[in-house]
Amino acid sequence: MINTIIRSTVYFVVCVLLQVLIFNNIHFFRIATPFVFLYFIVKLPVGMSKSLVIFLSFLIGLVIDIFSNTPGMQAAACTVAGLARNPLIAFLAGKDLPEGVFPSFKTFTYGVYFRYVSSLVLIHHVVLFFIESMTLFDPLFLLMRMGASAGLTVLLILIAETFNLELQKSEE
Amino acid sequence: MRKLLDFLVRKRHWFLFLLLEIIAVVLIYRNSAYQRSIIFSSGNVVTGHIAAVAGGVTSYLNLKQINRELLDRNGQLEMEVLRLRQEIAWMQADTAVFSGYVPDSTELFHYNFVMAQVVNNSITRIANYITIDKGRKDGILPDMGVVSQNGVVGVVSTVSDHFAVIISLLNPKFRLSCKVVGSAYFGSMVWDAGNIGYANLEELPRHVNFEKGDTIVTSGYSAIFPSGIVVGTVESHEKQHDDNFYSVRVKLATDFSSLTDVRVISNYKQDEQRNVENEAKRND
Repeated sequence: MINTIIRSTVYFVVCVLLQVLIFNNIHFFRIATPFVFLYFIVKLPVGMSKSLVIFLSFLIGLVIDIFSNTPGMQAAACTVAGLARNPLIAFLAGKDLPEGVFPSFKTFTYGVYFRYVSSLVLIHHVVLFFIESMTLFDPLFLLMRMGASAGLTVLLILIAETFNLELQKSEE
Repeated sequence: MRKLLDFLVRKRHWFLFLLLEIIAVVLIYRNSAYQRSIIFSSGNVVTGHIAAVAGGVTSYLNLKQINRELLDRNGQLEMEVLRLRQEIAWMQADTAVFSGYVPDSTELFHYNFVMAQVVNNSITRIANYITIDKGRKDGILPDMGVVSQNGVVGVVSTVSDHFAVIISLLNPKFRLSCKVVGSAYFGSMVWDAGNIGYANLEELPRHVNFEKGDTIVTSGYSAIFPSGIVVGTVESHEKQHDDNFYSVRVKLATDFSSLTDVRVISNYKQDEQRNVENEAKRND
């Protein structure tokens, strides 16, 4: 239990700092910005209560908002992603996963993990970009930004997963 | 009753979800450009200091380009000095006695400026903001204009003790009164959330003459910027729906992707002008 709390706190801080200091400054072709902090929501343990997942998702969204001057947008999008997380896991990975296991290539298998990450990222991005473009509507540009950002985010999360120090340690 | 309670407890995550979404939506809508709460922006103490450290590191990355821009600007100003010297020389030659004109500097030009460093800057969002490392203690107040060495950057929106958040020109909430250099007709400049190198100058009367490459400068009517600060150059133009106005595509002079040092312009007559304008509106 204590372990989970410490682990989640470390993930939270690292994800926020990485996002704010590095990834918020990436604008690939001036279209795509990766939102890698979603890795925090991805890596919460399986079987965590739905309310807690939703609350933590909201919290990380709010913190990112504060740093990037977009009050409420990320919070709204992350809360939706948090709500969708548990049903997604149940749907994609089945219900027979052991309680408290962390989503990874090993526990989920590659295909399932990829599908899980991309659907979570897609849900978040769709909500986020719709909220952001409420005032100005340019559908083609919107779809382009959405698709490019989502692709980049998924790619970076999968890279992060591959090089995750925690997993390498547990394999030794 | 028991079943109802059971149902509520079972579905409690839905209620939490709704509650949090409502909080988020309230935050989105309450934060219009002029009522941004300082707690929820990068202008507060914690985020400001973290951003200041990061900004300090990244400011080294663009030094080469900024140096070149400064040299350019230096060259232009030197030419200007030479031109003015020549003018003075001609005038001195014309008049028999030239005792030297010493204007009261505060009366002639009621603008002053404070240098500041950019610590946080966004360019990819639809509404972009910039955070700088000077705040109320350095004399910065909301509604002051901000310029870089190349041109207009934005307007101060929220101020804390040591930091300030600027609404960038790359933000559709910000409209800037501009004119084509050499003419008195003005239009309003607004960014269309597309390319960060371009913005549109709208509502420019159709009989204004200009060509591609003409310079667009601030009109000075808003009391935020002095008149004549460079905003960009004309790229192309098209008629607007109502046909009486041009919509001009303007290539912005400021490169927002490599912004590190800015000047905040204060106008000590701004309050006076605004009061008198408001009074005129009231009497209307």
